[in-house]
Order: sequence, then C-alpha cells, then structure tokens
Amino acid sequence: MPKAVKGVLVECDPSIKAIILKIDQDKHDYIVEDLDDQTLVIKESQLNRLKARLEEELANTQQMPEDSGSD
Amino acid sequence: VVDQIRLWQLEGDRMKATPGFLFKEFNTQADYEAPCRYAEEIGVLVWKQDTQRKFFVTRHEQVAAFLRSRSGKGG
Repeated sequence: MPKAVKGVLVECDPSIKAIILKIDQDKHDYIVEDLDDQTLVIKESQLNRLKARLEEELANTQQMPEDSGSD
Repeated sequence: VVDQIRLWQLEGDRMKATPGFLFKEFNTQADYEAPCRYAEEIGVLVWKQDTQRKFFVTRHEQVAAFLRSRSGKGG
C-alpha cells in the first residue's frame, strides 16, 4: 500500500542541502525524507526553525574561506 | 552587508519550500505511474522521482481518492 506523508518539500542547492543534513544530525528532528541531491521533505512545524538554523550556519561558514578561487 | 544579502538569497532562489504530501512505497511501477500522472493532470504535482517511485503534491485528497478507487477495482 502506498503511503502519504505530510511535510514541506525543500528544493535547494546541494551545498544548502548538506547544511540541512548537518543540522538534522543533532536530533534528527527536521527531515522526514531525504529524496535526492537537491530535494528533501522536512516537518512542516520545523520549517521556520530550520530556516533560522540555516541562516546561523551560513553566517558561520561564510567566515571561512571554503569556496574561494572563482573570479 | 554581504552576509545579509546571502541570507536573502537563501529565501529567494537558493531554497524553495512547498508544503504538501509525499506519496511513496508503491509496489509496482504501474501503481506509481497512474496516480502520479493523475496528480500532474489536476495540477497538484510538484516533484517526482520515477526510479524511487515517489512524488510530492500540494494537495492529497483527490490523489488519495484516486488511489482508493483503483485499489477497489484492481486488488
């Protein structure tokens, strides 16, 4: 029998997705289903919290020169 | 300032969030394809992955009804 799962489909860069996976690692509290490189389903109730965490993480990573060299 | 611009980009183009329902665990490719096509026809399909037999819709009621009517017929 097929299943229907409620959630929010998130489509993003692989780099953003990698950060979401990292955030989820703590408590596995966000992700409902990891679909592919650029797509995942998260809990609807957690969307705003995830965005906030994501912005925090991005602010942190941007202090590090991780992806330089493209001029 | 650059950081702030990046954050806005995240909302704007780098991340798209669509509330709805993920359908999965279809037994056969045919079981998957019919409701997926139906979802597309009625305009609720947002995302699909044929090899994983999964698709995401904005509204599930009609698709669920479609699945029920099929399982009644087929077996």
